[in-house]
Amino acid sequence: MEFEQLWQTALGEIETQVSKPNFATWLKNSKLLDKQEGVVLVGLPNTFAKEWVENKYQKIILNALRNQDQATKKVQFTVHNTNIAPTPLPQRKPKQVSEEEFKKQLAFEELKIDPETNLNPRYRLSSFVVGKTNELAYAAASAVIDEIGRKYNPLFFYGGTGLGKTHLIQAIGNEIKVRYKDKVRVKYVSSEKFTNDVIYGIRNKRMEDMKDKYRNVDVLIIDDIQFIGGKTTTEEEFFHTFNALYENNKQIIISSDRPPKFIPTLEDRLRSRFEGGMIADISYPDYELRLAILKTKLQERGAALPENIVEFIANKIQKNLRELEGVLNRILFYQYAKKEVTLKMVEEIVSGVLQQPTKNINPNQVIKAVADYYEISQNDLTGRCRQKSIVEPRQITMYLLRDILGLSYPDIGQKLGKRDHTTAIYATNKISEEINKDQDLNQKILAIKDLVYKE
Amino acid sequence: MKLVILKNNLREGLTAIDRAAGEHANLPILKNVLVKTADNKIRLSATNLEIAASRSVSGKIVEEGSITVPLATLLTIVNNTASERITLETDQNTLFFKTDNYEATIQGLPEEEFPIIPKIENKKEYLSFSADVLRDAVLKILSTIQVSEIRPEIGGMLFDFEITYLKFAGTDSFRLAEKTITETNFTSTFTRGFKVIVPLKTMQEVLRIMVKGEVTIFIDPNQILFQGEDTEIISRLIEGTYPEYDAITPKSFETEMTIEREHLMNAVKLVSTFSGKVNEIKMKLHDGKKVLEVYSMNQALGENKYLVPVKAKGESFETAFNWRYVMEGLKNFESAEVFFGVNGSHRAALLKNPSDASYFYIVMPINMN
Repeated sequence: MEFEQLWQTALGEIETQVSKPNFATWLKNSKLLDKQEGVVLVGLPNTFAKEWVENKYQKIILNALRNQDQATKKVQFTVHNTNIAPTPLPQRKPKQVSEEEFKKQLAFEELKIDPETNLNPRYRLSSFVVGKTNELAYAAASAVIDEIGRKYNPLFFYGGTGLGKTHLIQAIGNEIKVRYKDKVRVKYVSSEKFTNDVIYGIRNKRMEDMKDKYRNVDVLIIDDIQFIGGKTTTEEEFFHTFNALYENNKQIIISSDRPPKFIPTLEDRLRSRFEGGMIADISYPDYELRLAILKTKLQERGAALPENIVEFIANKIQKNLRELEGVLNRILFYQYAKKEVTLKMVEEIVSGVLQQPTKNINPNQVIKAVADYYEISQNDLTGRCRQKSIVEPRQITMYLLRDILGLSYPDIGQKLGKRDHTTAIYATNKISEEINKDQDLNQKILAIKDLVYKE
Repeated sequence: MKLVILKNNLREGLTAIDRAAGEHANLPILKNVLVKTADNKIRLSATNLEIAASRSVSGKIVEEGSITVPLATLLTIVNNTASERITLETDQNTLFFKTDNYEATIQGLPEEEFPIIPKIENKKEYLSFSADVLRDAVLKILSTIQVSEIRPEIGGMLFDFEITYLKFAGTDSFRLAEKTITETNFTSTFTRGFKVIVPLKTMQEVLRIMVKGEVTIFIDPNQILFQGEDTEIISRLIEGTYPEYDAITPKSFETEMTIEREHLMNAVKLVSTFSGKVNEIKMKLHDGKKVLEVYSMNQALGENKYLVPVKAKGESFETAFNWRYVMEGLKNFESAEVFFGVNGSHRAALLKNPSDASYFYIVMPINMN
């Protein structure tokens, strides 16, 4: 503020010694940027102004500044873009393009992403619907926005796909940008992008650039960190970036589809660091939350659907909010095409979404995945052993055969060592029940499912 | 100052820098051209404070000196004079223009009042290529760029230099084009890469003026200099970061087609006769996959369709495009055939030369619903 005042006073004096047009052209968007030990740094909007002022007004400006402060010894100039759009030149008028022409033309949505921060402005905190299953995550997010880098660092979110992790972490970034203007530098990056940058840096011998890019931020947001596991150099680089930021009290926000201890290939030193901050889970939304989300989405689109249909969708689609949105899109499309939206039609759409074809997965693959995960042999699973360390995996196998492949109970029994179908029923029910209570078990099963689908 | 100069030399010089001169309410001198003797040449310069262009022309220098006079006035006189030899002579702020049978006195302003044209400080690092290479690349990109007030950073052409290659890109958010030049086509002393955005208008001028010989590029944090044999263009750079467009570029396609380019251009042109305000034409690939149907309909006029033979694989599709965008893309190729990759009716489609990966053109469809 002091600079601003000093410069305004000096400008007042300069104005009397320079012709009016010249003053308006060259000095209008100037700014006093710095003053140290008698050296004053003045910013000018472009190189033309810099050349002109440096050559013609240096003396006048120095004198004016001296009159304010005797100690001024020297004045220097630099180009300082004040982000004022350059005066539009009187060009030939661009041919009139009618609004109508662009109403239906689709555009590259990705271009709306802020290139500085990588954030998509679409994700707002205000559009994140809070319920019982994600309130902890939301509260942690709000706390971090209030006290960047001090309260919970790192902040680690985990939860299944399509539950709103990306929405929440991008919304934090957007909110911080709005609240703190440009004072806080935010960077959002997927772990895939981070990996690519590391590879690029190595290949082009530009690791310094890559380091600058990620270490010169106040808030670093990394999405889907689980993909970093097993990529040694990337993990190493991330570890150093993490430390550099952490030691300087910069905020780190991380998301993953499972908690750190269940990311199989993650190095221990990274794992322990992730666990050192705040870990918040986003679990499957309950019925009320799904209903609330549906209604918010409808409102965003300015559409309406009969209450019984909204309730039906919320009831049926339980595990993935992206599916919820997909179903909604399709129903709204029918509505747009002026077809009547009936419960029967909605039922068809929903069942179409839910019955995704299980692509060529056979029971042996499931058994192998469980055996691999627990590091036991497949024969143990199908064998007669009733040790606790074998029984749980066996029950999980039964549950998965039912859940993924929909095998009949007698079939399941048959596959796992010719057991009775009641054993299969008991195991499946037991796991389905515990999965809702025991987060550890849930994570194990998700990890095994990953193995199954990866094969 | 006293000069004798051939009419054609003076005319070419003035025409080259003409568009760099500007209108400025506070600074009427921007309409002027600076005529100055330097190194046995006559240097003509004009600027609008965003861009400055200079060209050196040859002539006989009788007496060194300089003056600025209104460019448009001088150019009109030069264009219309019949004589070959012109004598230019100054007396203070007046320029005397003389031929055998014509004489004009033009009121000018001294050089001291003309803006000082900035210099690039770092002349050690440069990038140079033949004007033809630059021209070919710029021509393929320029049609996709539109100046946008909301998004200044896409109102220019991206120069993305990475030691072994140089990429040019442009977009108006509806389509995007990228051209890569490899190191066999340029020489460079840069030791590290850079990414700069050059304003559309600057590139238009470069394209117009830099027609022969070698072009060398120098860069400062805020400006870029294009240096040709006798011409220089210096321009501000656009502040900001160019969008990471890699995410936009489709990597795989639901439908892949190879089409004879002339044939497709013909179809698009002809079918566009019936397209509406949105410039939309529909392209449809039936299950048989031997022909691409290009179709348009206008409720007031009628409808038409054109069948283009294609080699296709993948899904059948029906997608609407702005025919101008498709046409502008097709024009940027020289090859006999083009590859056309489509991803349904809501995602970007891509055009490229099937045997040359250095250039591609992406276009977004029109929403048909």
